Amino acid sequence: MSESKKGGIFSRRGLLGIGWFSFIVSMVGPALANIRFLFPNVVYEPPSRVKLGKPEEYARGSATFVEDQRFYLFRDGEGFRAISAVCTHLRCTINSFGPADAEYGEPHAHCPCHGSVFAQKDGRVLKGPAPVALEIYEVGLAPDGRLVVDTARRVDAGFRFRV
Amino acid sequence: MAKLTENRFWRSLFRRPLPDSDLDRMLTMFSNFFLHILPAKVHRHSLKPGATWGLGVISFVLFLVLIVTGVLLMFFYVPSVERAYRDMKDLKYVVSYGVILRNMHRWAAHGMVAAVFLHMVRVFFTGSYKPPREFNWVLGILLWGITLLLSFTGYLLPWDQLAYWAITVGTSIASYPPWIGEKIRVLLLGGNIVGESALLRFYVLHVVFLPMVLMVLAAVHFWRVRKDGGIARPIALALHPVAGGGPTSAEATARFVPGPLKTYTLVELVRGTSPQVGIQAPEEEVPSWPHLTMRLLIVFELVLVVLTAVSFLFDAPLLEQANPVRPDNPAKAPWYFLGIQELVSYSALVGGVLVPAIALLGLMSIPYMDRDRSDQGIWFGSPAGKRAAWISFLLTVLVIPALLFLDSRFGVRQVAPGAPQFFTDLLNPASVLTTLMAVSSFLTWRATRSRRLGAMVLFTAFVSAYLVFTVIGTYFRGPNWVWVWPWQ
Repeated sequence: MSESKKGGIFSRRGLLGIGWFSFIVSMVGPALANIRFLFPNVVYEPPSRVKLGKPEEYARGSATFVEDQRFYLFRDGEGFRAISAVCTHLRCTINSFGPADAEYGEPHAHCPCHGSVFAQKDGRVLKGPAPVALEIYEVGLAPDGRLVVDTARRVDAGFRFRV
Repeated sequence: MAKLTENRFWRSLFRRPLPDSDLDRMLTMFSNFFLHILPAKVHRHSLKPGATWGLGVISFVLFLVLIVTGVLLMFFYVPSVERAYRDMKDLKYVVSYGVILRNMHRWAAHGMVAAVFLHMVRVFFTGSYKPPREFNWVLGILLWGITLLLSFTGYLLPWDQLAYWAITVGTSIASYPPWIGEKIRVLLLGGNIVGESALLRFYVLHVVFLPMVLMVLAAVHFWRVRKDGGIARPIALALHPVAGGGPTSAEATARFVPGPLKTYTLVELVRGTSPQVGIQAPEEEVPSWPHLTMRLLIVFELVLVVLTAVSFLFDAPLLEQANPVRPDNPAKAPWYFLGIQELVSYSALVGGVLVPAIALLGLMSIPYMDRDRSDQGIWFGSPAGKRAAWISFLLTVLVIPALLFLDSRFGVRQVAPGAPQFFTDLLNPASVLTTLMAVSSFLTWRATRSRRLGAMVLFTAFVSAYLVFTVIGTYFRGPNWVWVWPWQ
């Protein structure tokens, strides 16, 4: 037995190494699989595209809050635009946009959770911990003539959907 | 009575008769599974209320209450978006004693958060983290973290406004670390939105996963306390005449007695700091039964009485049903997270991720930096220690409002509105304060050449900052998280 060191395919040390390696693989592999298991492959969530009313239902200068997808639909002289009401800081819903006041020289909205303030014009951060501007979503028209907003498609602040 | 106890079954249940001598009591402690978590004998110092204020025991008792009330509540609670809130209302108005059980569960959770924190404060200020207890301190910090996570996952379950927006904000904070952040958020939510999967995940974490982790860690925590010779006490009270009452060093040496009356079959395995080893005479110890067991029973009863009284008097908070469209204004976390909420209101990455991570790592590393055992078991270690703690406390209390004032006037967003987020993350009250704390601790260490004083400055500043930010979040922040006076 003691002389079998040279004769075998594996040295004693090598065999032990393989043993430990296999053991570690047998532990780590399932652990990684379990973590992967926790990431869902299918989620049952509302679609990012939402269909709204016909363009003529929205008056010029109106602001409409769409509850389920949490965004504001504005119609101004130039057209439609959709601006997210989800604070970019920690995803609270911002308050309604208010007019310019002494502190902020343009229409703006506060976030109730941590005090970020956003400009209505382009969603940029005026104050507070929010790292980036509010998202602006693409507005389009469905074949049936109704407005469509896709919260998965972001556009520049200058975007307007003209009818 | 005799009929009850003098039969085979009883004797098989309790192998020893009811003890009538100290030796018998110790042997019973030693041979009973449930009592055997306690030492057979306990040092007189450990029994003084002021040595520990019983905070570890109180935390444990509250945990037991939480398990019992929690299991009971599970019989009436379904973790579904449709039913969760209704079940809360049922518990309040329909289920017998439901409201009391829910109150007890919630108040015990608040109590446990406070007791665990105070326990940590006690352990620090009595220098009880020093070798060989370094790792037990680390376990303690982890247990504190698990306690907070248990509270967090718990108050999400009623699916009221607090629950919904706490999940929203909490998981959003988790999404801030670069690269893995978004993955963590999906992992926690079980999707991309806060809904049914998220509620189920937090429920499983709350009722199975976290309690299991806590129990394992707590078991190791208690075990190590026992193996390290019980509660930390002054090393040879003798060497510190100021501590009073102890024998002189010569006496202590002369009276050194190797482990009394305790033999192990495998005695050669029992080395190092066994409960009986140290500079102590046997007469400084008393049998745990009844001296320790009675005190435990009293603490247990007191906690129950206070908790029950509170639960009859005050109802656990329950806000309106979750409204995924609008948070309350202001939407405030429970008191123990208001400090974090305040920090997050400067920068989510720094206040919600980096500073808490640095704080946890800093706390865990304390016993590896300050290893000098000479003042362990003594409150504040020395008059100099007490002074350092006071100075650190006062400075922190003054510096934080000053920082917040500076930030509101000359903060990055005020001076340079268009500056990239990086600069807000780099320079805000949370990051500046953390740096100040680290620097002043380092300077104290260099100036006094005492690591204990350095640690004292750091830890006191941490606790003070936690308190100050909690007070600010609670009383000085109003709707839209703007400054208000407490009376407004």
